Amino acid sequence: MKRAGIMFLAPATLVFTAVFALPVALLFAVSFWSVKSFRLQPDFTFTAWQRFITQYWELTLYTLFVGLMAGIICTLLGFVFAYAARFKAGAHGDTLMLATLITLFGGYLVKIYAWKSILGADGLLNQTLMASGLVTEPLTFLIYSRGAVIVALVHFLLPFAILPIYAALRNVPDSTVEAASDLGANAFNTLTLVIIPQVRQGLFSAFAICFLLAAGDYVTPMLLGGTSGVMLGQFVLLEFSTNFNWPAGSALSFGLLFACMLLLAVLGLAGQMIARRKR
Amino acid sequence: MIWRAVIAFFLLFLLGPIALVVLFSFGSNALIGFPMGALTLDWYAGLLRDTGFYSAFWTSVVVALATAVFATITGTLAAMGLLRLAPSVARAVLATLSMPVLLPPLVVAIAIVVLFVRGIGLGLGVPVVILGHILITQPFVILIVMARLARFDQSAVEAARDLGASRWQAFRLVTLPQIASTLVGAALVCAAISLDDFIIASFTIGGGNTLSTFVWGKMRTTLDPSINAIATALLVVTVGLSGLALRLSRYRS
Repeated sequence: MKRAGIMFLAPATLVFTAVFALPVALLFAVSFWSVKSFRLQPDFTFTAWQRFITQYWELTLYTLFVGLMAGIICTLLGFVFAYAARFKAGAHGDTLMLATLITLFGGYLVKIYAWKSILGADGLLNQTLMASGLVTEPLTFLIYSRGAVIVALVHFLLPFAILPIYAALRNVPDSTVEAASDLGANAFNTLTLVIIPQVRQGLFSAFAICFLLAAGDYVTPMLLGGTSGVMLGQFVLLEFSTNFNWPAGSALSFGLLFACMLLLAVLGLAGQMIARRKR
Repeated sequence: MIWRAVIAFFLLFLLGPIALVVLFSFGSNALIGFPMGALTLDWYAGLLRDTGFYSAFWTSVVVALATAVFATITGTLAAMGLLRLAPSVARAVLATLSMPVLLPPLVVAIAIVVLFVRGIGLGLGVPVVILGHILITQPFVILIVMARLARFDQSAVEAARDLGASRWQAFRLVTLPQIASTLVGAALVCAAISLDDFIIASFTIGGGNTLSTFVWGKMRTTLDPSINAIATALLVVTVGLSGLALRLSRYRS
C-alpha cells in the first residue's frame, strides 16, 4: 500500500522538482553569482544582497506596506461579505460563494484594465464627476497612485479572502450562535466572543494569501501605480530583463520573499499571544 | 434590509468593473464612458481579422488543453497516492506540492527561466509554458479529487477485487466512471487557470503570444478598444469553464 502511494505521487513530484524545487534552488544560488560585462558567472559574492539591503530597503518596506494594506482590507471586507453570506443570506449563501468562486479564476488582466478605464483621466469616474458638475477638471490623482494600486489589488484579491473565511464560518455551528443570544449576548459580543474565535485560522489564511499575492505583484503597480506607486516586483522585472542583472533580480525576489515570511511569522505569533492572553 | 444592501454593494464591487468591460465591448465609442455609442460587433469582427489574435488564440488553446490533460493525470494520481499515506504525512506532502501556488508567480516564473535558459540550456517556448502551468494547476486537481475520493465508497472496489478484477480493472471499471465528472471538472479548472495566467506565460513563452500576453501587448501600447472585446472573450471562456467545472465536480446533486 505504502509503496503504491509513493508510485502514484511520482509524476506530480517529478513536475514539482523539475519545474519548481530545482529552479528555485538555482535561482537562490544565482543571487550569489556575479555579472561581468553582461555575462553571468558562478561565484560566491554578496554584491547582489548588499545592493538589495542598501538600495532597496525603503522600497521593500513600502511594498510590504501595500501588501499589508491589501491584506487587511481584503480580510475585513471578506469577513463582512462571508458573514453576510453565512448568516444573513439564508439559502442564497452558497450561490453567493459560487459567484465569488467563478470570478477567482478569470480575468486577472481584465480586472486591472477595468480599473484603468474607471480611474483614468478620461475614465468613467472622471466623466461622471465632470458631467455631474462636481469638478470642472478631471482628477488626475485617481490613477497612477498608491490608492489606485491598492483598490485594484483589493478587487482582484477579495475572492481569495472571502472563500477561506466563508469555509471557516460554515463550520461555526448555528447552535453556538443561538446559545450566545439565548444567554443574553448582544450581536457585537456574539461576533467577537463566539464567532471570531472560531474562525481565527480562516481569517489568518485569508490575510496571508492576500498579503503574499499583493506584495509579490508587479502588473498592477506597472499599470496603475505610475511613479508614486512603484513596487519591488517591478524592479525584479527590471533587473532581470532590462539590466540583465540576474543576481540582483534573484536577491530582490528572495529578499522580498524572506521579508514577507518574517512579517507573517511575527504577525502569526503576535496573534497567538493575544489569543492566549484573552483566554 | 441593511444586509441586503451590503450584499448588493459587494456584488457591485466584485462584478461591476468586469461588467463594464463586457458592456463597452459592444459599444461603438473607443473610450469607456457614457454614452457608449451605438451597439456594434465591430470590435469582435476586427479581432477575427487580426492574425496576431489567431496565433495567440491557438497557442492558448494548445497550452490550456495540454495543461488540463497532464495536470489532471498527475494531480489525480497524486490524490490517490496521498490517500494511501498516513494523514499527517499526506498533509505535509500536499502543503509542499501547493507551494508553487502560494509564492508570487513572478518568482516561480523567473526561477523557471533561469533553470531552462542557464541551468540546462533548453531555452524557452510553449512546452515550458505548459510545464509551468501543470505545476501551478496540479495542486487544485489534488484538492478537488481528494475531496471526491474521501466520500467515495470503497466497498464497490473491494467487491470488484474479490471477484477477480485486477487493480487496474477495478480502477477503470469501478472507480473511474464514478469520479469521471469530477475529473472533467478539475480539468476545466486547470484550463481556466492556464488561460488566465499572464505572468508565467509572459516569461516562459520566449517568442509568440498566448491570449493573455496578447491582451497585455494591447494594454501597454495604445488605448485599443478591441481590448474590451478580447478581454470579454477571454472572460467568457475562463468564467464559463470554472462555472461548468463547479457544476460537474462539486455541486452535483
